[in-house]
Amino acid sequence: MRENMNDSIRRDPRRAWIARNRLHPEHLSVLAALGEIGGGGAASEWLGPNGVIRRNPHAIGFIGPKGVKRIDRSGTQQGGQAPGQGRQAAQDSRRAVTIEDPAFLVAVVPDMTGGRLSGHDRDLLGLARRLADADPARPGAVLAVIFGEHKDSTLGEAGIDRLLHLEDAAFTGFSPEARLAVLAAVEREFAPHHWLLPDSPLGGADLGRRLALSLDERPATGVWQIEADGEAPLGWRCTARGAAESLDIQRPLPRVALALAECAEPVDETRHSAEPLSLTIEPPRILSRIEDLGQVAVDPAGVALAEAEFILSGGNGVKDWDGFHHAATVLAATEGASRVAVDDGFMARDRQVGATGTWVTARVYMAVGISGAIQHLQGIQRCDKVVTINRDPGCDMIKRADLAVIGDAAEILAALVEQVEQQRAEQHGGVRRDAA
Amino acid sequence: MQPDSREIEVAVLVSVGRHPVTGRARRADQDARGVEVALTLPGARVRLLHAGPADDGSEEALRGYLGMGLDRLTRVEQPEGADVVPALAQRLAAAPPQLVIAGSRAERGEGSGLLPYALAEYLGWPLVNGLAEVEGIENGVATLLQALPRGQRRRLQVRLPAIITVDGAAPMARQSAFGPARRARLESCAEVAVMDKALGEWTLMPARKRPKRLKIIKAGSARDRFKAAAAKAEGGGGQLLTDVTPEQGAEAILKLLKEEGVLR
Amino acid sequence: MLDTLLPILIFTALALAVIGAWRRNRLWRQGRPSSVPILKGLAAMPRRYLVDLHHVVARDKVMSNTHVATAGGFVAAAVLMILVHGLGMGSSEVLGGVLGWVLLAASATMFVGSLFVAKRRRNPPARLSKGPWNRLWKSLMAFSLGVFLITLPTVGLLPEGFLEGSGGWILALGLAAVVAWGLGEMIVGMTWGGPMKHAFAGALHLAFHRRPERFSTKAGGEGRSTGLKALNLDDVDAPLGVEKPADFTWNQLLGFDACVQCGRCEAVCPAFAAGQPLNPKKLIQDMVVGMAGGSDAGYAGSPYPGKPVGEHQGSPQGPIVARQGQALVDAETLWSCTTCRACVEECPMMIEHVDAIVDMRRFLTLEHGNTPNKGAEVLGNLIATDNPGGFDPGSRLHWAADLDLPLMADVKQAEVLLWLGDGAFDMRNQRTLRALVKVLRAAEVDFAVLGNEERDSGDVARRLGDEATFQSLAKRNIATLAKYRFQRIVTCDPHSFHVLGNEYGELGGDYEVRHHSTFIAELYDTDRLTFSPWKGGSVTYHDPCYLGRYNGEYEAPRRVLRALGIQVAEMERSGSRSRCCGGGGGAPITDIPGKQRIPDMRMNDVKETGAELVAVGCPQCTAMFEGVVDASAEVRDIAEFVADALVDRPAAPVESRPRRPAVEEFCP
Repeated sequence: MRENMNDSIRRDPRRAWIARNRLHPEHLSVLAALGEIGGGGAASEWLGPNGVIRRNPHAIGFIGPKGVKRIDRSGTQQGGQAPGQGRQAAQDSRRAVTIEDPAFLVAVVPDMTGGRLSGHDRDLLGLARRLADADPARPGAVLAVIFGEHKDSTLGEAGIDRLLHLEDAAFTGFSPEARLAVLAAVEREFAPHHWLLPDSPLGGADLGRRLALSLDERPATGVWQIEADGEAPLGWRCTARGAAESLDIQRPLPRVALALAECAEPVDETRHSAEPLSLTIEPPRILSRIEDLGQVAVDPAGVALAEAEFILSGGNGVKDWDGFHHAATVLAATEGASRVAVDDGFMARDRQVGATGTWVTARVYMAVGISGAIQHLQGIQRCDKVVTINRDPGCDMIKRADLAVIGDAAEILAALVEQVEQQRAEQHGGVRRDAA
Repeated sequence: MQPDSREIEVAVLVSVGRHPVTGRARRADQDARGVEVALTLPGARVRLLHAGPADDGSEEALRGYLGMGLDRLTRVEQPEGADVVPALAQRLAAAPPQLVIAGSRAERGEGSGLLPYALAEYLGWPLVNGLAEVEGIENGVATLLQALPRGQRRRLQVRLPAIITVDGAAPMARQSAFGPARRARLESCAEVAVMDKALGEWTLMPARKRPKRLKIIKAGSARDRFKAAAAKAEGGGGQLLTDVTPEQGAEAILKLLKEEGVLR
Repeated sequence: MLDTLLPILIFTALALAVIGAWRRNRLWRQGRPSSVPILKGLAAMPRRYLVDLHHVVARDKVMSNTHVATAGGFVAAAVLMILVHGLGMGSSEVLGGVLGWVLLAASATMFVGSLFVAKRRRNPPARLSKGPWNRLWKSLMAFSLGVFLITLPTVGLLPEGFLEGSGGWILALGLAAVVAWGLGEMIVGMTWGGPMKHAFAGALHLAFHRRPERFSTKAGGEGRSTGLKALNLDDVDAPLGVEKPADFTWNQLLGFDACVQCGRCEAVCPAFAAGQPLNPKKLIQDMVVGMAGGSDAGYAGSPYPGKPVGEHQGSPQGPIVARQGQALVDAETLWSCTTCRACVEECPMMIEHVDAIVDMRRFLTLEHGNTPNKGAEVLGNLIATDNPGGFDPGSRLHWAADLDLPLMADVKQAEVLLWLGDGAFDMRNQRTLRALVKVLRAAEVDFAVLGNEERDSGDVARRLGDEATFQSLAKRNIATLAKYRFQRIVTCDPHSFHVLGNEYGELGGDYEVRHHSTFIAELYDTDRLTFSPWKGGSVTYHDPCYLGRYNGEYEAPRRVLRALGIQVAEMERSGSRSRCCGGGGGAPITDIPGKQRIPDMRMNDVKETGAELVAVGCPQCTAMFEGVVDASAEVRDIAEFVADALVDRPAAPVESRPRRPAVEEFCP
C-alpha cells in the first residue's frame, strides 16, 4: 500500500538528486522519507547530519486489525508492514546443544511430581545450567537422576544433558532409603561437581538432606540466588533463606544445594541431548525400614478447607440444603460456606470461607448463591478457577468468576448431579462391555 | 519400677520460635504441632527436650509448650551459636526414647531443617518427614499418616525407634494455658558444647523481598502479549451465561470441571 | 389455748430459722474469703434496700407496689407478732391495744399484697419460675390471714372466750395450723430454702455486696461499679479464676442465694433470646445447686435453650465445667455471654452475673487452655502482635498516612490523647476514625495519638478470661501513657473507654476518659462546632452496652444527634434496656451457635422504628450490624454524622470567644 502511494506522489527533482548523492548531508533523511532503506519499507532509523541517530516514529509499526496503528518494540513485529518479507513463524528457535565431553557434572534430582517435571524442577535445571555453562571453555553437563516412570518428553528442552533413569518397584511411593542408595552409587561412579535438589517438602527437601548427611556435606537449604565468587571453594556464592523465611544467609555454595522455586530462570533457548546413562554397578538392595502402605482414601468432606482441591461452597442463595449436600457428595467436592450460611446455622463454622474464615487455595471453587462480600472474595483470591451459580447477574462474585451461570441454584445443581451420574453410569457400562 | 509395656516413651524436640510478624519469641509452630501429636498419642509418656541458651526470653517461649499440659521440660544448656546436634544426640543416646518427634525446621538461626536428619544419622534410626498423624503403635511398629498435597494422606509403617518430623500439615497445636505453663518445671542440664564455626563465618541478614518473576511471554504479537498480561490482571474475564436452561448451565459447569480434572 | 400454742410455734420457728441461718452461713462460708466491712455493710443495708433495690423494682410499678405491700406488711407483721403473740405484749395495758391494731393493719396490707401475687401467678410470664414459687401466694395468704385472725381477739374485735369451748378448740387448732404453715414458709423457709430464702440471703447480700461502690450514697451520685476485678497473678498459689463453686468468694455465693428467680435477666438476655445455651437465671440457680450439692432437677424455670433440665449436677468441691462430659454447667453456656450487663442492670437483687461468668471463663482459659473457636488464635495474636487480628503492630497508623496525625512521641504533651483502638486495622472503622479526626480538627482541638506505641486495651483478652494477657497489655499501655502529659483520653471505642477508664485504675493507671460522643457534645456546648441542618431520613440510635450500661452515658450521643437537628426515633429497647449487638465479651470470637443471630434481632428492632439510618458509637456494633444481611437501615457512627454536617464557623465569633491557651489547661 505504501509503495503504491509513493508511486503516486509527484517527483521532487531535488530530493531525487539528494537521494543519489550519498555525500549530501540530507542523503539519509531523504532516503528515509522516500522509504528506500530496508528493502522497500520506509527507513525508521538513520544517522542524522550531526552524528545523532534519528528515528522516524511514523515509519515504524503496523496497522492493527482494527485499523489503529500499533508499535511493537519487542522486535518481533507482525501485522503486514512488509508483506514481501514473510513472517518468521513461531517455529522452534531453540539452539541444539550437545556437550560431548563435559568437564564436570552437575547432578540434579528433580521431583517429577506426577511423572512430569514440575515448575520447581525446571527452575532447578535452569540453575544447574548456570553452574554448568558458567565457563564456556570448560562446559559442564547436567545429569538428571529420575526415579520411576515418567511421561515428560521435554527433558532435553529443560536443559538435561545426561539422564539416569531408574525404574524399579523399589522407588515407588515413599522410598527415601532406596533412592539414597542410588544417589550414593551415582556419587561413587560419576562424582558430580554439584548436587542440586528442589527444597520441596515430600520431595527433594527430604532426599537432599539425607544425601547431604550421607556425603558428609553441610547442604545449603532454601537457596534462591547464586552468584559467581572466585574466592569460594566451588567458585560460587549463594543466598539461602533461613529461620522460617526471615533470614537471608550468604555463604559459599556447598556441593549439595537445595534450592527454592524460582531460584533461576528455566531453560528456554537451548535444547539438550538428554542422553541416557546407566550405572555400571548396580546399587545395593536396601532393606527399607519404612514400609509404604499406599495412599489412603480421604473423604473429601473431611479435607481441611485450606487444602481442598475442589470446593462446593454455599451461601445465602441456597434454599435446598439437602440438594446441596447431595451435589457435594456426587461431585466429591469439599463443602464450604459463606459467613451468612454459617451464621444461619446451615453449615459448621469450620466450613466458612473468607478473610474471617478460611483462606482457600482450591483448583476449582464453585460458589452457589454467594453474592461475594469483599471478605469472601479475599478468601478465595488464591483459587485457580471460580464457578458461580447465582440469581443476581450484577453481584461481585460474577465479576470474579471464570464461569457464571445465572439461574436457580437448586435446578442447576440437580441438573449437574444428573449429568455427572449419567456420565459415570455410561463409563461403568462401557467398562462392563469391555470386560464382557 | 517396671514401665508399662504398652507405654511408649516419646521425646519431643522443641525450640524457641519466632513470630513471623513481630519476631517475638514464642513456641515454634511446627514444634508445638509435634507436641500436639505426642499428646494425642495413646499411652505416650511425653518428655520435652530443648537445647539452647538459658535466658528469660527463651524461658517464656518454652513455657508455651508446657502450657499445653506437660509438667516439665529438660533444657540442655548450650551457648548461643553452638551446634546443638552433638549435645542432643548424646542426650537421646543416653536415655533413648522409642519415638522422637521434631518440627521440620526451626524458626531461628539457620533453620535448615537438618537437625532431625543429623540425629537420625547419628542414632542410626529411620526418619519419616511430613507427618500428619500417628495412627498407632503396636509391637514396636508405628503406623503413620504422611501428609501429601491437597489433603491427601499416605500410610507408612516404621519400626521403632524412629524420628518423625511434622510440618504445617500436622494438627494445630492446642492452646497454651497460663496456669500449667507457670507451674511446670524447667530443668536444666549441661552437655558439652560444640560451636558452629561455619555459621559464624556466613553473612546473616534480614530476608530481602525476593524479586517477583516477570511473566515473559515470548511468542506472539504485542497484542497477544498485552492480552495475556491483562487477562490475569482483570481476574479471569469470565464467561457469563444468562437465560440458559439449568441443563445448559450444568453442561457448561461440567465441561469446566472436566477440563480442570477435579471430577473423579 | 392459743396463748400457749402461739409462743411455742413462734419461738420454735425462730429457733429453727436460726439453725437454718447457721447452716446456710456454712454453705456460703465454703467460698473463698473476701474482706467486707461487716458492720458498715449492715448499716448501709436499709438504704441499699430502700433506695437502690427499689429503684430497680420500681421499673415495674405493679410489682413494686405488690412487693411494698407484701414485704412491708410481712416485716411489720412478723415483728409485731413476736411482740404481741410471742411475748404476750398484746395484753399489756399501755401498748397492747395499739400494737394489736397495727398488727392487724400490717397483716391486712400483706394480705392485699398477696392477692396481687396470686393474680400474677394466674397467667405468669415465661420468665417466672414455677415449682415452689407457685405456692408462695398461698403461704403469704396463710400467714397474713392466720395472723390477722389470731389478732382479732387480741384487739377485742372478737370476745376473749371466742376460741374456748369445743367448737373453739377446733377453730383454734385450725388457726394454729394455718399460722404454722405461714411461719414455716415465711420464717423457717427463709433460711432453710424455699422462695422466702431471697429475703434473708438478699438482705445480707445487700449488706456484704462485693461491689459496695455500685450503690448510691446520701451525698448523691448514682453509684456505678462495672469494671472487672483483677486477679492476683504475682502470687503463684492464687487460683486462676473459678473452677468449683467453692472457688467463688463467700459473698458471691451469698449473692447467688439471693436470687428471686423473677427472670428479668432471662427476659433481657440477648443470648437467651437468640437461642444460645445461656439463661442467666438458670446459671445463678446452678451455682446455688453447686454450692449445696446435687442435681439441677429441682429447677422450675426456663432451661438453657437446647439443654434439658436434670442432666447436670455439681458439688461445692466438684468442677463446674468438666474437661470432658458434663458437670454443673457446659462451657458453651459460659461462652455464650456477650457481657452486655443487661442481666445485672435488671436484677432486683443486684446479683453480679457477669463477674461470675468471667471468673469461670478465667479458669477455662488460664487453666484448661480451652477458649473455643477463634479464641485461642485471637489470644495468641494479642500476645504476639498486641492486636487481635495479628496485624503488624508497626502498621497501626497506615490508614492515616495522609492525615499527618501528631504523635505523642513527637509532641510529648497534648490536651487530648486520641485513643484509636484496634479499629485502626479495620477498614470500616478507619472511616469513623477519619471522621473523628476531621471533627477534632474543625474544633481546633489540641490532640495527639500514640501511633504504633498503642496496643490493644486488653478488653477482649480479659473478657475471654485471659487475665494474664490483659494485665500484660494493660501494664505496657500504662507505662506508655505515663511518658506523656495529656488532660484526657478520647476514644471512639466504648470498650477501650471502659477498660482505660474503669479497669486500668486497679493496675495503676488513672485517666480521665471520654467517649467521642461525650467529647463532641462538650465541643458543641462550648460553641467549637457548627453544624448544617440535617436533611437525611429518620434516624434511630443504638446504645452500646459498654457506653450505656457500663458507663451510664445515654444522653451525650442523643444530645449530639439533637444538635445535628436529628429527631431520634427511639427503639423500644433503648437506654439502659438497650439490646446488645452481640459483639461484646468476645462473643463473635467464641461464636456459640444459637437459633438466630443477636445482631439480626437488633436490626429488627431498628426496622420496627422505620429508621433509614442507625446511629452507633462503637466499632463492634458497627461491624456486627453491617454484617446483617438485607438490613433495612444503614449503619453510621456518630462521628460520621458530625463530620458530614460540619460547616465552617463564621470568623467573628471565634475571635470574640478567645480560646484559652492549651498550656493553661494542664494541671500542674
